Amino acid sequence: MKTLKAASFAQWAALAGRAALCLVLAWAGFLKAAAPAEEFAYAIETYRLFPSWMATLASLTVPWAEIYLGLLLFLGLFTRLSAALTGALLLFFQLLLGQAMLRGLPITSCGCFGTARSNPIGVELGLNFLLMALAFLAWSRGRDLLSLDGAIESLPSGGGGKERS
Amino acid sequence: MKIPAIKDNRALYRKLAAAAALVFLATLGTLLARHLNLGPERAAPAFRDTGPAGAPIVIEEFTDFACPACRHAYSGVKEIKKAYPGAVRVIFKHYPLTNIHPWSVEAAMRADCAGRQGKFEEYANLLFEFQRDWAMEREPGKIFDEYVEKAGLDRAALDACLADPGTERLVRGDMAEGDMRGINATPTFFVNGRRAVGLGQLVDKARPLIISLK
Repeated sequence: MKTLKAASFAQWAALAGRAALCLVLAWAGFLKAAAPAEEFAYAIETYRLFPSWMATLASLTVPWAEIYLGLLLFLGLFTRLSAALTGALLLFFQLLLGQAMLRGLPITSCGCFGTARSNPIGVELGLNFLLMALAFLAWSRGRDLLSLDGAIESLPSGGGGKERS
Repeated sequence: MKIPAIKDNRALYRKLAAAAALVFLATLGTLLARHLNLGPERAAPAFRDTGPAGAPIVIEEFTDFACPACRHAYSGVKEIKKAYPGAVRVIFKHYPLTNIHPWSVEAAMRADCAGRQGKFEEYANLLFEFQRDWAMEREPGKIFDEYVEKAGLDRAALDACLADPGTERLVRGDMAEGDMRGINATPTFFVNGRRAVGLGQLVDKARPLIISLK
């Protein structure tokens, strides 16, 4: 782990990216996890891709995954793996939104932040691209600065178990 | 043979332990926030949300139209609203006990459809007042229709509303919210977020708030 003074712009940007991803993911996950799962399940059903049972399953699991990934990224723990999974999740959301846009589905709420707020699909697509870029930044340089990965690996007799992601 | 694998992987185990602690704390925090109702407020339709928006006393009322205790409590809440018109906001939410009251969901949907025509309270009053007539009936459709006439509702608009899947979804959403908030009896109230079951507890919880207004 580099000292703060010696950190490059890219490392600072990756740190900011981890913080931003944490804010967005953990907040979006919390809003959904603290609300009835049926509401998020309904939002998923409006994409008309999955059967009802899959929408219900996703509504019970995705919010928690978002919370955990957001916090793991914030702390820089399993940073590369968390960033890769976040990127994959965002890509999946992007495909969902994209197909809805192409099919012209009448989606009034994307379900991204539960029922608390919703942006037009185009805005969500743009926001997702930005978040995917941040996830890439976190994947490539996110371990370098203020990460638990770096802190744990620099502990005495702890150097042999680097992350395998 | 490589024996000291555990030592080699000490950093990995430390990270796994830290991740497990993080997952545990995040889960605990989220569940606690859920239990304490710190999550996003789930809005009710405007016709079920009465009283001033900035009222110092907010009562959320989870009710089943077929439940006798709810009928009793409903009139109690109306009296509180009447006595302190500027101080009390009441948010009505459906919690039909479908295992014992077969027509509760339909009654709730009909009340909401009446609400879309600006007559939620009129229809709700009829449902509670004549609860015994329909609650355990084999086929209460005709009775519900009589209330449509009595409340002066547009029949075609009401039928269209009942056919709209969004109407039932709204009622089911309330039920899901009630389940999540640990409701297992009706009527259950949340007075400024504090739980009260039945009219007696509601009055107990609301009294100090009302006294503090004076």
